[in-house]
Amino acid sequence: MKKTVDVSIPVGPVHPCWKEPVRIKCETRGEHVIGTEVELGYMKKGIERIMQGRPWQEVMFLAERVCGICSVVHNMVFIEAMETISEITPPPRAAYLRVVVNELDRMASHLIANFSYCYTIEHETLAMYLLNEREYVLDMLEMITGNRVNTAYMIPGGVRYDLREEDAATLRATLDRLEENLRRYTKMFAGGPLIALRSKGVGILTKEEALEAHAVGPTARASGIAVDCRSNHPTYQEIGFEPVVRTEGDNYARIMVRFEELMQSIGLIRRALAMMPEGPVRGGGECKGGKVRYSGEAPRGELTYFIRADRYGRVEEIAIQTPSIMNIDACTHYMLKGVISIADVTSTFISSDPCIACNER
Amino acid sequence: MTKYLYEKDLRPLKYNILVGPRQDRTVKAMADRLGVRRQVLRRHLIERLDMSNLENMPARWEVGCAAPASDDALADALGCELFVENIAVFTPSEMEAAYEKARDLVDDGAPLETAVKEGKKALKEVITS
Amino acid sequence: MTDLLQKLKNAVRSRSIHVAYVDTGSCNGCDIEVLACLSPRYDLEQYGIYVHNNPREADILLVIGCCTPQWEDKLKEVWEKIPEPKAAIAIGNCPVSGCVFNREGGYVNPPVSKHIPIAASVPGCPPRPTEIIRAVLSLAPTIFADYEEKKP
Repeated sequence: MKKTVDVSIPVGPVHPCWKEPVRIKCETRGEHVIGTEVELGYMKKGIERIMQGRPWQEVMFLAERVCGICSVVHNMVFIEAMETISEITPPPRAAYLRVVVNELDRMASHLIANFSYCYTIEHETLAMYLLNEREYVLDMLEMITGNRVNTAYMIPGGVRYDLREEDAATLRATLDRLEENLRRYTKMFAGGPLIALRSKGVGILTKEEALEAHAVGPTARASGIAVDCRSNHPTYQEIGFEPVVRTEGDNYARIMVRFEELMQSIGLIRRALAMMPEGPVRGGGECKGGKVRYSGEAPRGELTYFIRADRYGRVEEIAIQTPSIMNIDACTHYMLKGVISIADVTSTFISSDPCIACNER
Repeated sequence: MTKYLYEKDLRPLKYNILVGPRQDRTVKAMADRLGVRRQVLRRHLIERLDMSNLENMPARWEVGCAAPASDDALADALGCELFVENIAVFTPSEMEAAYEKARDLVDDGAPLETAVKEGKKALKEVITS
Repeated sequence: MTDLLQKLKNAVRSRSIHVAYVDTGSCNGCDIEVLACLSPRYDLEQYGIYVHNNPREADILLVIGCCTPQWEDKLKEVWEKIPEPKAAIAIGNCPVSGCVFNREGGYVNPPVSKHIPIAASVPGCPPRPTEIIRAVLSLAPTIFADYEEKKP
């Protein structure tokens, strides 16, 4: 167990590059990192314990406060899990609206992840471009749902508001603008020689290691594992969906997977808008009791809710397995071990898009 | 242990993670498989694993259990891969020692169950010590 | 002469604000809204506010989140590292009341004002970036403008 260690360098909890507090103790030999220990507990709020014994009307709002970045998908997965228990089917228009909102949220999340990475490797120009694009995505989210973050848009048996025709036209116009800009930024990132120096071949996660740590989402897809829960979702199957996979497994691949998924999301929203039928958006229904394990694809990977509810729809037991749990483990215990210099620790950690609030709940 | 600035006793925080519903179920399954008491195993896990590992334990356990069986039945029964690679409950050398002990028994002609029992006894000693 | 110098100093001091933020256990929503202030649309730096995230260079500390057990001592340490004059602003509902997390079974220990003095708070779940900028801008003159004259 004991290794020869020169210096142990703690990184965090308050760090200029990190949005959230986490502490990584890096054991180094020379400049090489040979082992890491993660210290969490800065964000442990005990959400699962608070949720227990509460009716679904309250748990719904708690669920989206598990993570503020990807709040829509937490809302969506919880509501769809409750719908699976109670055998409610949302009206078709509501199902497509869910996809639209979920993809907008995914775009916001991927943009902030790529912003953080560019900011960490001190490419501030590209970072600010990306952060500005995120504002336009959030505008669209606000237009449809009424809030920027924590939207509470989905309810059992449908969604809260319908999408008006003029709003759909605004959304289409914004998507055109976003696509043009994002294509330029992707080219900037893919072709930047200094970015390549900081990113290519750094923090490699092989396919075997990714499988061992159960890595999910863009982290796994950059290592050549084609997992995406969206391929099992009925609405996405109707729209047509193919996961983005790269095989390099380094920082560069992870960021590029997110850029490609941004483009894919734009396409999905467009197709959803085109295929959306007319009709009601609220079907209604009654939440019943039961037990379910339901997975959905969050921006960071597979998100699983284990719910046991009683016959009044009260949540008796709940466990949330967020994607960051697996990705942070894969990142700190496999990627960081091969890192050549301590200067790459922060950028490698950010490239796996860690969300500590998700991780600790 | 290396001494850090601002070091804090993390045991209560790690315990908070371990009593989460999924983790609790995983610890129960592991304790049943190894034949030790749950509280003893928890103490051992808190000493060995860091907080990110503890959070990810249920997922790793699922992956380890779903892994296809190898051609060595004894290694599978003892969980050589599962308890070292997937969840680092034991160091490779500790597992090696227990495995050698059981392997010797099998080579001497003892049935598999007895050998597995003997190997688990050795592992149990590591946990309780 | 000293008066003129003092006036110049006051003017400069209230127009160059360095901000550090510390997340004491939020849902991330408020973090992201603070980060969104950096974006060219809101352009924090045109008001002379610079987000630093280094407590030793900061003037204003933005506290986000509802104070988990790990932070009880560390938050005080971060606060002590900030040089005078300083102020803390609570962003969001969490540092004010604990928001949805202050229920039976949670591990949190709000409000943050138990641990460090809070000068202003911006309620909201989460507040909009414009509100955060407004809070910083309206607090800055009252704390920093006549700091040296106020000093006994």
